[in-house]
Order: sequence, then structure tokens, then C-alpha cells
Amino acid sequence: MLELRPILSALWRHKVSALLIALQLGLTLAIVSNALVVMNERTERMSRPTGIAENDIVTFNFMAIPKDYDMYDAFRQDLDMIRSLPGVASATISNHVPLSGSGSASGFYTEPNKETGGLGANYYTTDEHFIDALGMKLVAGRGFYPEEVMKISPSSNDRPTIAVVTQKFADDLFPESNGNVLGKAFFNGGDDHPIKIIGIVERNLGPWPNSSIAGRGAFYPAITDRWFYYIVRAEPGQRDKVQKLVEEKLAERDGNRVINTHTIEEEKAQYYAGDNTMVKVLSGVVILLTFIVALGIVGLTVFWITQRQKQIGVRRALGATRTAISRYFLLENLMIAATGIALGTAAAQIFNGFLVREFEQPTLPLTITVACAVALLVVSLTAALVPALRAANISPATATRSV
Amino acid sequence: MFGYYVSLAIRSLRRTPVLSGLMVAAIAVGVGAAMTTLTLNYMMSRNALAAKDDVLYAVQLDGWDPHEAADNPSEMPWQLTYQDAVNLLRSDIPINQVAMHRWGGPISLEDSDIRPFTADSRVTTRDFFALFDVPFLYGGTWSKEADQSPIHQLVLSKESNEKLFGGENSVGRTVNFNGVPFTVVGVTEHWQPSPKVHDLNNGHFNESAEAFLPFGLHRAFEIYPWGNTNGWKSEQINSYEDRLNSDMVWLQYWVQLDTPQQIEAYRDFLTGYIREQKEQGRFPRPLKFGLSKPSEWLLLNEVVDGDDRMLNWLSLAFLLVCLVNAVALLLAKFLRKAPEAGVRRALGASRNAVFSQHLVESSCVGLLGGLGGILLTLAGLALIRQLQMGYMDRVASMDWTMMLAAIGLAMLSSLLAGLYPAWRISRTNPSIYLKTQ
Repeated sequence: MLELRPILSALWRHKVSALLIALQLGLTLAIVSNALVVMNERTERMSRPTGIAENDIVTFNFMAIPKDYDMYDAFRQDLDMIRSLPGVASATISNHVPLSGSGSASGFYTEPNKETGGLGANYYTTDEHFIDALGMKLVAGRGFYPEEVMKISPSSNDRPTIAVVTQKFADDLFPESNGNVLGKAFFNGGDDHPIKIIGIVERNLGPWPNSSIAGRGAFYPAITDRWFYYIVRAEPGQRDKVQKLVEEKLAERDGNRVINTHTIEEEKAQYYAGDNTMVKVLSGVVILLTFIVALGIVGLTVFWITQRQKQIGVRRALGATRTAISRYFLLENLMIAATGIALGTAAAQIFNGFLVREFEQPTLPLTITVACAVALLVVSLTAALVPALRAANISPATATRSV
Repeated sequence: MFGYYVSLAIRSLRRTPVLSGLMVAAIAVGVGAAMTTLTLNYMMSRNALAAKDDVLYAVQLDGWDPHEAADNPSEMPWQLTYQDAVNLLRSDIPINQVAMHRWGGPISLEDSDIRPFTADSRVTTRDFFALFDVPFLYGGTWSKEADQSPIHQLVLSKESNEKLFGGENSVGRTVNFNGVPFTVVGVTEHWQPSPKVHDLNNGHFNESAEAFLPFGLHRAFEIYPWGNTNGWKSEQINSYEDRLNSDMVWLQYWVQLDTPQQIEAYRDFLTGYIREQKEQGRFPRPLKFGLSKPSEWLLLNEVVDGDDRMLNWLSLAFLLVCLVNAVALLLAKFLRKAPEAGVRRALGASRNAVFSQHLVESSCVGLLGGLGGILLTLAGLALIRQLQMGYMDRVASMDWTMMLAAIGLAMLSSLLAGLYPAWRISRTNPSIYLKTQ
């Protein structure tokens, strides 16, 4: 038999305290469920496949100290040297490095001489080794032949005539072609120079994974001496060794330059540092908040029990079992928690509406709210459990002692 | 009376150590969380140029795409084209004016063991140091001619001077920059505005430059900026000269205007300039330019981004939960002491006296919570410094203002939290408790 009526009337005498606990639970539910939905989105964002062998790649860049330095000659000699080193799987040169937060982008069109409505995408200028060096997967067509790779300078208007693109680029630029885009041409804005698609790679998130153009990329067979990075893929597990070795050998081959090197792993961590911090801070918030609320419930339950020691004694003296006493306090807690969760579900929706409107955060699905509500209910009952069990130990004698 | 209340409060807190500890912990955690995010946001939005906020202006010109405005809150490109920057430099209205951008190159010393390094640099006009109040350790800025023609002079930062010359006066010495000898004309003091309001491209909290180079070097070195370059139309670019004359934007522009007359005159100048350019077929959009004070510039550039502001709200909500928690616990505690309050009332204490006595008690809890909150804030900031690489060092730290704010927030929160419980207990009817004693 559940003693709902006496619980209700007892609660009514402590309505403010009970309401405060309910309010706390409600607010916690609102915060925790929204924090979870944000954390969820960030974690998903960070764990998206990047399309490249992110754990095995090291990049190098150098600045020549003498003024008139033959860059192209240095590129050729350096890359030949790097490719011959032990532990190196493949090496290429590119104007930009994926996931690094620094890159080039432009608008692309399916028709010549268009000015508006282009599709934004990243572009890379690179050589015939890029698919292998980045560890990408070619899904259609072919890569570049060595003789197709041209030298361009940023001040010239030389443009490549072929390109390899990502699947997403192909799908977004030619939505009607069902991925069948080999041989099709695209254009730069205000330009009638066609660039023919000769190959498609599965995926490449590009230099800015959080931007709207992420995943759309075009690769040109061209090398520029203004912006360049050597992208070196090491055999699995050899990355750090290769990084040291290549840095040494580059300096050894020609000491007249300053060499900078990074791993893609570093670049990726740097790029996602904000998202990562957000996830960690939010997990901290969720844990602390749950803890605080639990402590609050313990504190209040203990207080109520001490206050009602005499009543408990009387009830025990009149024949109530220990289980009945514990059950009473747990039921009381359950009723408060249920009220709180009802309030919280509404508050969570309101709070989420605000986050969506002001900060473009994802909307809160009901499943997350329900999951959080169940979790909080368990926390609340657990917090009440210890004091409730202790209450059962109150001896019937207390009832008579202080009278 | 106040002293007596304080001693009563301490006695009462010590009588229920667990409950008191819970209250202090709740307030400390709430204040700690709120202050950590508030401090971050406060440090991130600090205006390093506050002293000259009334006289400095970031200049924007709207020469963007006729079909759509530049994609940012100001709806104008953040930066200027090279040709516009050079044209604006001809005006003699501003006291100081700066056209600049980020660049870099290898720096080395002839016949020296010092390892060459890549110096993050700034190509700028000579007014940079006067306009941004950058103090000199040795020497000064370069000559006026160096802003127009390629003269190989540069200014080092204190840090790079230490690396190259061990910190001694290097004015007149020669360093190689990009393989060419440059004469050092000055060394600046340590100067690291954070956020670096003068150039908010490429990270708001990055290191500032290690070397400063004159504006007259572009053609000689074919300088491509290290910052952002943006364009809106397709242009035929076959040479570096084409690039300089293109509509691509890549320079930051600041002016110092001391009087309202100067501001007025400069506005007229900019209006006239855009009109003149329109006649030549440039500036296809409606006539628009921007003059933003440093404080406005920080807001416009959203230095404190959405995530930071969201965390701010979240931490305030967090504090609210902690407060509700504290109210509930205080209420429980005070009600338990109701018999005591009843006796005091019966002995002639007024309701006000009982009320203030309990308010003092909750303030004690607040003070302790505030102190705990500061410790937690310091711990939280240390944690964030660990999580975020590099730049957070300068941002995630607490100054005296924020320490005081933390105590203030804790006191205010606990006073607010104590208000209802104290009022409730002061309404106690003494007769009930006298009867049961």
C-alpha cells in the first residue's frame, strides 16, 4: 500500500523546500540535456572521417635565406631525397595542408563566364603523388601523370586544364549526374577556361572542416613556389622517426634555409581546440551539476528526517516496518523529482530554443531529454536512499523518550 | 551588534558542519564556474587600445561585389586594397595613419652562430609605433622615404633583439631578412596586445610581430601577405603589378583623428575619394565606409565568439542552480533553528533583529563560498590553459578586478539566497516554540 496522501500533506507543510528541490532538478535537466546535445554535435564533428591518413602524415615547409633561390630545383631535389628515405611511404608537394586552418578557396561554375551563384570549394595545387601521399582513396578515373604537372606563379594566369575532385564536390556541382562526372568540365568565375575532371577521390575535408565548404575540394596538377608544403606519409608507426629524419636531411642537403614542420595530428588538434575545450568544459558542467544536486538532495532529506525523528519513532512504535519508513522517504523523493522533471522538460525546450536562435546550436531531440530525465531520477533516488535507509534505523523508543 | 551576529553565525555554522559545508561548496562551485567563464570572456574582450579609444579609427571602404555585400556583420570588407591604401595615405588630415599587413621571412646574422629563424613580421607605414603607442627600447621608426621607396631598414621587437643580439642596443647593426641586409633603426619594448585589436585576422590572440618593415618594400620583394587575402571578382593577374592594382583586399588601415573637426574632414575626404573612384568605375556598391573605434572594432569582429557567449549563459544558469540549492539548504538550516529564534523573539528581539542576524549568517556562508569560488576559478583557468594550446595563457588568468568581482558575486548570491530563509524565520511565531519547550 502506498501512503500517498500522508506524503502529500507532509510535503505541503514543506512546500517551499520541496519546490526548491524540484526547481533544482528541473534546471539541472534543462542544462544537462542541452549540454549533452551540444557535446554530441561537437564530438560527431570531430570524429568525422577526414579522408586522409591523418595519423601518418608530417608536413614540412622551408624559407630560403638567400634572396634569389631556385625554389623549383630545391623542390625536385628535396622530394627525390625524401622519397628515398627509409620509413617514407610517399611524399608530395601542395600549396596547402588539409585540416591546418590555412588554405585557398574559390567559387566554381558549370558554365563559362558566370559571376554569381558559384559553388565554394577548396583547391590544392599539387603533383602526381598527392593521392598516395595523403592516403586518399581514388573512386573513379585516374590521378595525374608526371608530365601533366605544371609550374605556376601566383602572378601568372597560367591555369591547369584538368583536375581531380572530391566526391562531394562532384555531387554538389553536378547534382543531376549521379556521380558520373568524369570528363565533365567546370569553370572559375568570369572565365571561359574549362577544367576537365579526370578523377574522383572519396573524401577530403579540406583545410577548414568546420566551414560550409568543407569536403568540397579540387586538386590541380600544378606547383607554385609562393605557398608550398611537403606532405610526407610515413609507414604506419614511423611518423615521429620520419619527421626527425626528414628535418635533419633537409637541413643537411641545404643549410641555407629555415625549416618548419608539423604533424597533421597537431594541426587537427589545433583546429578543433575550441570544440574540444567546449566538450571538456561541458562534461565538467554536467558532472559538477549532478553532484551538486545530489548533495542538495542528501542535505535536505537528512534534515527532514531529523526533523521528523519523533514521527518516525511513533510510526515504528505503532507497527510500521523499516521498509515502510524507507519507502515513505523514497516515494516522497520520487514525487518531488517527478515534479522537477516535468518542469525541467519544459525548461529544456525553452533553453534549447534560445540556444538555437542565438547561437545556432542543434535542436534538442526528445530522446536526449528522456535519457537525462531517467538518469536524474536515478541520481535523485540514490541520493535519497542512504538517508532513507538510516531513517529506518530510528528506534521506536525515540517516540517515547522525549514525551 | 554586528560583531555579536557574526559570532552567533560562526557558532551556528560550526554546529552543523556538514550542512554548512554543503552550502559553502554549492556557492563556491557556482561562483567558480560562473567566474571562470566570465573571466575568460572579460579577458578576451579587453581593449588594449582603451587609452586611445576616442582618437583611433579602423577604416573600411565598401568596394565589394555589387551583387552581394561582404559576408560579415559590418557588410564591408575588413581590409583594404593596396591601391586604396596608397591613395588614402596621401591625405594629410590624420595625425597618424597606418597601412599594414602581416608578412614574414627568415632572419639571420652574417658570421654568427645564431640559428636563422622565421620572423613573423609586419609591413607597415612608419606611424605604426606612434599610433598604437608602441614604446621604443632603442632608436625609433624609419625615415619617411622608406614608406615610399625600398629602403632596407627595420625595427626589431624586444624578443627578436634578444635572440639576435642578446638584448644589447642593436641600432645601426645589420641583419639579413629574406637574404637581404637590413639596418636596424629601432627596437621596441615588449608589446603584446591581447586580443591583438590592431589586426584581428589569423587568430585574435596570436603573438604580435617580431620585426617591423617599411611600407616601401612591396615591389622590390614582391611581398605576398601572410594574412588573409580576399577577392570578389575574377581578375586577370599576370604580374605582381596587376596584383597591387587589383580589387583584392589584404591591408589593414588605421587613422588617428584627435578632434571632431578632423573626423568631419576625414569623413568628407573618404566620401570624396569614393565618389572619385566611382567615376572611374570602381566601388559599384552604394557609397559606404566605416570608421570604428577600437572598442567597436572588437565587437564588430566578434572577438568573443558564439561559443564563449553560450558558455557565459550556461555558467550563469549553473550559478542559478547552485543558488537554488543554497536557498533550500539555508531554509532547512534556519527552520531547524526556529526554536532558538522563537526564544529570542520572546525575549524581545524585533523581527528586524532576527532577520539581520540570519542575513549575517548567510553572508558568512557567502564569504566563505566566494573564497572557495576564487580558488576554484583559478583551478578552472589553469585547467583551460592546459586544454587549449598556446594563446590561452594570456587570456586565462585573473586580475584584481575579477577577484573582487568573484567575492562580490558570491556575497550577492548568498545575500539573495539568504533573503527568503531569513525573512521566513523572522516571521516565526514565538508562542509555538515556547509551548513545546
